[in-house]
Amino acid sequence: MSDGPRIITAHWGDERVIPYEGYVRVGGYEGLRRALAMSPEEVIAEVKASGLRGRGGAGFPTGVKWSFVPQDTGKPTYVVCNFDESEPGTFNNRELVEREPHQVLEGIAIAAYAIRSNLAFIYCRGEFLWPGSVLRRALEEAYEHGVLGERVLGTDHRLDVVLHRGAGAYICGEETALLSSLEGYRGQPRQRPPFPAIEGLYASPTVINNVETLCFVPHILRNGASWFTSIGTERSPGTKVFSISGKVERPGNYELPMGTPFRVLLEEHAGGVLGGRALKAWTPGGSSTPMLTAEHLDVALDFESVQQAGSMLGTGAVMVMDETDCMVEAVRRMVRFYAHESCGKCTPCREGTWWVSRVLDRIEAGYGRPEDLPLLEDLVPNLLFRGFCPLLDGAVSPVASGLRHFREEFERHIEERRCPFTGRGSATGVAEPPAPPAPQEPAPGPVPLSEVLG
Amino acid sequence: MSREPVTLTIDGREITVPAGTLVIRAAERLGIEIPRFCDHPFLAPAGACRQCYVEIEGQAKLVTSCTTRVAPDMAVRTQVTSELVRRAQAANLEFLLLNHPLDCPVCDRGGECPLQDQALAFGPGESRYIEPKRTYRKPIPLSPLVNLDRERCVLCARCTRFCDEISGDRFIELYDRGAGERVSIAAGEDFRSPFSGNTIQICPVGALTATPYRFVARPFDLSSTDSTCAHCAAGCAIRVDVRRGKVVRVLARDDVEVNDAWICDKGRFAFAAPDRPERVTTPLVRARGLEPASFQEVLGEIAARCRGGRVGILVGGRLADEDAYALSKLARTVLGTNDLDHRRAFHGGRAELLAAARPMSVTYRDVEEAAAILVVGLDAEQELPILHLRIRKAARRGARVFVLHARRTRLHDLGEHLLVRPGHEAFALERIREALAAGGDGPEARIAAALAEAGERAVVLAGPRLAEHPLAADVALGLAERVGARFALCARRAGDRGALRAGVHPTLLPGGRRVTDDVERGQVEAVWGPIPAEPGRDAMGILRAAAGRELDVLYLVGVDPLRDLPDPALARRALANAGYTVIQGLELGELEPYADAFLPAAAAAERDGRVTTWEGRPRPLRAARAPLGLSRPDWEIFVGLAEALGADLGLGSLEAIRAEAEPLLAPREVPVRSSAWGAAGPPQWIEERVLFTYPLLVDEGRLLEGATELKAALEEEPFAEIHREDAEALGVADGGWVRVRTSAGDAVVRARVGETVAPGAVFVPFNQPGLPVAELLAGRFTVGVHLEPAAEPAAEEVA
Ligand SMILES: Cc1cc2nc3c(=O)[nH]c(=O)nc-3n(C[C@H](O)[C@H](O)[C@H](O)COP(=O)(O)O)c2cc1C
Ligand code: SF4
Ligand code: SF4
Ligand code: SF4
Ligand code: FES
Repeated sequence: MSDGPRIITAHWGDERVIPYEGYVRVGGYEGLRRALAMSPEEVIAEVKASGLRGRGGAGFPTGVKWSFVPQDTGKPTYVVCNFDESEPGTFNNRELVEREPHQVLEGIAIAAYAIRSNLAFIYCRGEFLWPGSVLRRALEEAYEHGVLGERVLGTDHRLDVVLHRGAGAYICGEETALLSSLEGYRGQPRQRPPFPAIEGLYASPTVINNVETLCFVPHILRNGASWFTSIGTERSPGTKVFSISGKVERPGNYELPMGTPFRVLLEEHAGGVLGGRALKAWTPGGSSTPMLTAEHLDVALDFESVQQAGSMLGTGAVMVMDETDCMVEAVRRMVRFYAHESCGKCTPCREGTWWVSRVLDRIEAGYGRPEDLPLLEDLVPNLLFRGFCPLLDGAVSPVASGLRHFREEFERHIEERRCPFTGRGSATGVAEPPAPPAPQEPAPGPVPLSEVLG
Repeated sequence: MSREPVTLTIDGREITVPAGTLVIRAAERLGIEIPRFCDHPFLAPAGACRQCYVEIEGQAKLVTSCTTRVAPDMAVRTQVTSELVRRAQAANLEFLLLNHPLDCPVCDRGGECPLQDQALAFGPGESRYIEPKRTYRKPIPLSPLVNLDRERCVLCARCTRFCDEISGDRFIELYDRGAGERVSIAAGEDFRSPFSGNTIQICPVGALTATPYRFVARPFDLSSTDSTCAHCAAGCAIRVDVRRGKVVRVLARDDVEVNDAWICDKGRFAFAAPDRPERVTTPLVRARGLEPASFQEVLGEIAARCRGGRVGILVGGRLADEDAYALSKLARTVLGTNDLDHRRAFHGGRAELLAAARPMSVTYRDVEEAAAILVVGLDAEQELPILHLRIRKAARRGARVFVLHARRTRLHDLGEHLLVRPGHEAFALERIREALAAGGDGPEARIAAALAEAGERAVVLAGPRLAEHPLAADVALGLAERVGARFALCARRAGDRGALRAGVHPTLLPGGRRVTDDVERGQVEAVWGPIPAEPGRDAMGILRAAAGRELDVLYLVGVDPLRDLPDPALARRALANAGYTVIQGLELGELEPYADAFLPAAAAAERDGRVTTWEGRPRPLRAARAPLGLSRPDWEIFVGLAEALGADLGLGSLEAIRAEAEPLLAPREVPVRSSAWGAAGPPQWIEERVLFTYPLLVDEGRLLEGATELKAALEEEPFAEIHREDAEALGVADGGWVRVRTSAGDAVVRARVGETVAPGAVFVPFNQPGLPVAELLAGRFTVGVHLEPAAEPAAEEVA
């Protein structure tokens, strides 16, 4: 495995850093201590200078976001840590929390100090039972050791952190839906503006950051902004924890400097494509980012370069597909995910993802019609950027990029009336025409926990 | 939000609108209709349906015009000038129709459906969707009034937003997500909101339908008339739809000055009474029995009885303003009496005088823009539902709301309640007044501080409960004046304020001029001619006089003293002993045995005229159909009676009445008097338990007859609401039976035990099925009461 600085995964594998004492032994809470010795404005300035950009998908500069928070509204301010990590292919938040839970708590504490907040929330994905328990334990320790509570590390600063467990909706990772959910409403996105920094939780100024973003903050405070900017690229400084999965020899999380070529991640770290087969497609940032192909092996993994290549860095979740993978099936599954997770609020997403999903079901099952491809190609621009929130754009990405790069695979499905990879389809009589699952009407009322947990 | 003007262009045309205006509204001002489903001008923007896309120069993506606010120099292109927008809207329509059942031929909305209209105008001729459609069980009754068809629903969330933002009655909600998202209601719940019908009206498709209107009509066989609801003094703008001479539907019309876009379910669904078989539409006169006769004959007969006789007149709450004026003049100048009254309870006092003399001391807009609102003696949701919605709107805009009432009201989620025993409101108001100077930290002090801080943006709304105490309304008025707040004495029934203004009152003439004041009476005499100078008898006095055989003629106009007034025993004696009893109204009901003559009046939907809101605002009534049979508007009957008596009231038309009344009803100054306790003496503490009663929105009132589904949805079984402390002391259990005994009678009802009523007070709704509470009353709407646990009564006893 190649070298390069590891910042937030440096202690991975060392279980001693999970409890409070171990974390402190490796320098933990030093960043918070430094921050508390500075003024909140100085903390924001330092984070701004570091150029840290949000790792939750959009890459918005973190310090800038913090500086938007007004201090004169007479309302409280809040910090929310987004730990809803649900984007297919993305799994670094989970490991960051499991392996070093105090790191993200320290980041939260610094953010709270910077925006003068006394109450922070962690929105934990519903299915994350174990990571949630790890966090709960760490929170207890932090209170015991005076990191949280009335006097943060003995100062006058007060901070409480509330762990909130979601109920299993991808959309609740979207920041405004998250806020609705946290307030006890349906998890559906809200109108922006006002942006959360101005009117967020309970209509009060709120900073929302991803777990990974917050993990960098203590290190920036400890080592200084210029140290951070010396890593990565000029406009995407620092490292990134890439989650690589799919057809690779060694799937997992790898922390590499921003700008590392995809080839290095794939070949040097993930051990190359599984079984030495040829690379067909990969997502640079989760299933919502347009797929790239083998032609893009040398794309550098930073916000700008990936965008230039026609996709987005997103969450840095790389899913690798090889030459034996059916792209129609891949696209079908991804769209199905979004159709299932669409919150239902807006028409194009609710109805459009349902429609596209049905059409793809048919094509994969060998019931495609020649007019289905022009239909899909016509639907793409009528869905892209037409939703209330970006979930719909994520749903369109695999379709658009699938058709762009692999149209002939779709055509073969239709011509051969079967899937060329599995051989199943109407032509061979193996597959039934897909019956769309009619939405069931569950009895209203509480769902038993056993059903939620499966 | 700043309101400075912003100039922008829409489709190349320049327009200037206040900052903060939504693009869709700005376009409307230019007459450009951007298609929409979820947008509603009285609901917060949702951006859900995505039909209202526009293009904004310099922005890469299309935006929804219902969520985008104007900005200086913005250049907007709508479907009128942008091909891109047209294509996006057509595509969105295709999405909306994917799973739509295309039920149009059997859908109540067909012919007036925004989805149908837009699909016709802009939609592709054929769908490219070949997969099976989503299906649901349908229709699902959400209540006896409202049905949900989920297949037709476009999930615009107008209905759920209405319930969240406007009524606060969050019975329905969106459940589940994605393509499975649907409107739903908790298992076993009914959509039990008195505003539920509004969701039907604002549903942009036929997903919500009204049981009484299902499969009844198509828009093109309706004839529609704009009018005003006459069920209460809120004065809502309505549209009355008539099919083949029958009212089949009532809709709300938009009116930002009064009802925004809403009406209550009573106004919407209680329209069948005039078509009931019990309605009498010919004049009747008693010979061997009550027999049909011509108006001329009957009026001649009545005139003969009135000539030289002593006449007392009782009036209900449904007269139009012109009726009231004609009657006031008839009584004084032709029948020579001041014995007329429209009130159910005594008010008197300066507050009443002001209400008679000065309209519009508080308007809906004042309520909406208030910083603090004190509601006293009024259950706004039940008594003036649209005022209730305005108070809620004010609260959402930041107003502090306080309710001083004997019983918790539906403002409880937005306002602070101070539960005081009926009759003790005046003490509580006094304590508030004292707290203005003394401060403190109790609820009275909080109210005082909020009112004082709000100053002229404070509003005090006094309701009918204050009529139980001779001075309570005046104390409320005094408090309002102390802090500079606006004050209104809120009438409940549609005819109340008009009747008061016109002088259907024993001591007040038009404009609140006092009969006993020579100068003020002289002002009216200058127009009318001589008026008796002795004060008349109030409603209970008239009944007592009739009972004591002091009246030759008892004239009952739209009132049933057995049901409406708080002493049925007295009313029965009055009816038995009156020399001659004339009934004027829609039907005879239980009064039939007492009637010597009957005069058929036209219903509100059958006539023109005006009614006055609780604010004092005149509102137009317009005939949606001709009066049934020989019935005619009340004012015409009064004019006819005058003629039969050889007099000419000079009021030959509505215009003539208005022209004569206008100068007399112009706002007048009322002399300021001290609001000391005066002759009545300070109010007495009531030590015993008291029963109090008032009508709920939906009850057994005459105008609600025939509204079967409405009653099924909203009418309550009789109950006695008792405070937990009292219940515990008496051993009465929640849901158990309790015997309620007063000096007038007793009854056994179910107890509702909780903290929703003041300790020491027992609430029994006024006119519920099977329990004529009036039989427990002894001249007022509060009465001392004795309670004891009771066994479940045998079936016939409960009724
Ligand atoms: C559909 C959707 C799902 C999202 N899910 C997540 C998530 O699970 N975790 C996350 O951190 N951000 C998620 N985001 C991004 C958040 O809205 C938000 O931008 C982010 O939490 C900001 O944090 P950052 O600035 O630290 O990246 C999602 C966005 C969308 C549109
Ligand atoms: S785009 Fe999809 S997820 Fe986002 S608001 Fe619309 S329906 Fe909900
Ligand atoms: S029922 Fe009607 S108002 Fe309610 S969401 Fe559906 S379409 Fe909209
Ligand atoms: S609030 Fe009053 S006026 Fe308005 S609809 Fe209801 S009953 Fe009619
Ligand atoms: S009307 Fe604008 S999104 Fe529905």
